[in-house]
Amino acid sequence: MNKKYLVGVFDSEHTLIDAFEKALEKGVVVEEVYTPYPIHEILHGMKNKTRITYAAFFYGLGAVILLLSGMYYAAVIDWPLHFGGKPFNTFPSFIVVTIVATILTITLLTLFTFSVRAKIYPGKKAEIIDIRATDDKFIILLDQETMNVGKPEITELFQSYGASEVYEKETEKTA
Amino acid sequence: MYKTDVRGKLIDGEEKSLSQISAEILAPIYAKTPRWWYITMGIALLMFAWGIQSVYITLTQGIGAWGQNSTVAWGWEIINFVWWIGIGHAGTAFSIFLLILRQKWRTAINRAAEAMTVVAVLCAALFPLLHMGRPWLFFWIFPYPNTRGPLWVNFNSPLFWDFVAISAYLLISASFWYFGMVPDFATIRDTTKSKIKKAIYGFFSFGWTGSSKEWLRFEGLAFVLGGIAAVLVVSVHSIVSTDFAVSVEPGWHTTLFPPYFVVGAIFSGFAMVLTLVTLMKKLYNMEDFITSRHVDAVCRVLVFISLIMGTAYITEIFIAWYSGSEYEFYTFFKNRITGDYAFQFWAMFTLNALLPQLFWSKKIRNSIWVVFVISLLINLGMWYERFNIVVTSLSKNYLPASWAAYHPTSVEIGFFVGTLGMFTAGVLLFFRYIPQIAISEVKMVAKFNKQQTSHLKSGNHHDYE
Repeated sequence: MNKKYLVGVFDSEHTLIDAFEKALEKGVVVEEVYTPYPIHEILHGMKNKTRITYAAFFYGLGAVILLLSGMYYAAVIDWPLHFGGKPFNTFPSFIVVTIVATILTITLLTLFTFSVRAKIYPGKKAEIIDIRATDDKFIILLDQETMNVGKPEITELFQSYGASEVYEKETEKTA
Repeated sequence: MYKTDVRGKLIDGEEKSLSQISAEILAPIYAKTPRWWYITMGIALLMFAWGIQSVYITLTQGIGAWGQNSTVAWGWEIINFVWWIGIGHAGTAFSIFLLILRQKWRTAINRAAEAMTVVAVLCAALFPLLHMGRPWLFFWIFPYPNTRGPLWVNFNSPLFWDFVAISAYLLISASFWYFGMVPDFATIRDTTKSKIKKAIYGFFSFGWTGSSKEWLRFEGLAFVLGGIAAVLVVSVHSIVSTDFAVSVEPGWHTTLFPPYFVVGAIFSGFAMVLTLVTLMKKLYNMEDFITSRHVDAVCRVLVFISLIMGTAYITEIFIAWYSGSEYEFYTFFKNRITGDYAFQFWAMFTLNALLPQLFWSKKIRNSIWVVFVISLLINLGMWYERFNIVVTSLSKNYLPASWAAYHPTSVEIGFFVGTLGMFTAGVLLFFRYIPQIAISEVKMVAKFNKQQTSHLKSGNHHDYE
């Protein structure tokens, strides 16, 4: 089903931030913001949190345990070898492989997590609101049903903070 | 934070709008392919073809087609392997270390450095693979439950560490590079007029829209990959150095090796970056983005690293005398500084430790063609360094009866030339089809070009990236 959106287009980072922060103050619910590069005020204001760093930590922890126990199994339990009386469990020299292979595991799993959570994968069709958002425009998207404040009021607010365009758009549910 | 008054502007020319930045960086992709590109590509492919022929001979006749003998069991292949891996160190070093040091000038260069890394590591990986003799059984190096015992790999061998480290390094630098390009591919998708480009770059842009949710996770991912890749930069070449240092060969058995190798790798990598950016600057008119101050900054880094290299060379020589070990003494004083391999030693010393000292002069740093030539010569010097390490130590060690000389055969030369062709072709493809400079990152730092003013809220932020 198609939904009605209100789109505010800004030309620069600081007009966007000013309008965005003012809108939040007035209790406007912002659906999404599209920018050509990451802007921390926006990421902060949207109140989304990413737990990808925690995920990466636990992938690493799991990898360390698996790798060390795997090497212990191979070198001590499954196929112990005598090297001039050295202990079978040559733990300190297992560390090198552990570090490097842990890094490899973290990378692969974190990339996979990113792809799944951010829904970024090869060949995905982009749900583009305004095609200029990857070039030079900064876009605020509001869902007309849930934006909480009246359309004329928001339009005026955006324009007073330097929006170059404010327009309505009907499209399928995005983002 | 980046101080405009310390290093000057990040982007030259008249103040650019964001769409101008996209358009200027993407110009080579939209323009017609220049004639020199086809000519260079032709030469690169010819070189590559010679490489293929050499690999074919190696595969059908075995590594007996190479010049190695039982004394000098490692020759050009290990030299070239270490050389390429060293060059491959710059991409991640650039991206990560300059990120940690908050050097915003890296944004114009990091993409090229990372691209070069990926191609160089691919070139490097071919050498140990072929050196195995029976490369079709290379998967035996994976520690997997097998029907040969199961016989496990030696987890204490630096050669196995090397295998793990290089696979990890290749994967991480490739993914770090690729994910950095996703927003730029989306920019191409959304600005191109060609339907074919829209479809192809659209596919590779993974459905990127630039929403805050995407940027948030993108930054999280960059943080994780960057953080762990910093460890990897140091560990990969340390591990390569242990391939040598854990043996008892004179000239190899030294604790200096890991830092010496890591610094040397970054040295050669930065030199190759310098080669590439001077080419980009001149051939693709990227002069507004890669300013003379960018080149200047890389040159300064090279002077500093060159001093470390010189210190390392002299330390090795000093310890060979001071340790009182006659074998060490012989290797350094009779087989490197003087003797059969004196030319290679002094070529290394001159090109790596002395020549880059010219960069103390501002005039030389500003003269782009001199910089270009010196950057090539440094890479030649770094090749001689690896020759010194590999060949001189092996050729005359403890037992005079087994002393031998080493000469490469045409197959080995062809193999090396083939990888040079592969590298050149890879770089040319990069120049032609991929945004040479990270567009979104340049846009992000473009605001630092203006005088800092208090109303510019985001100008106060330095915890970016």
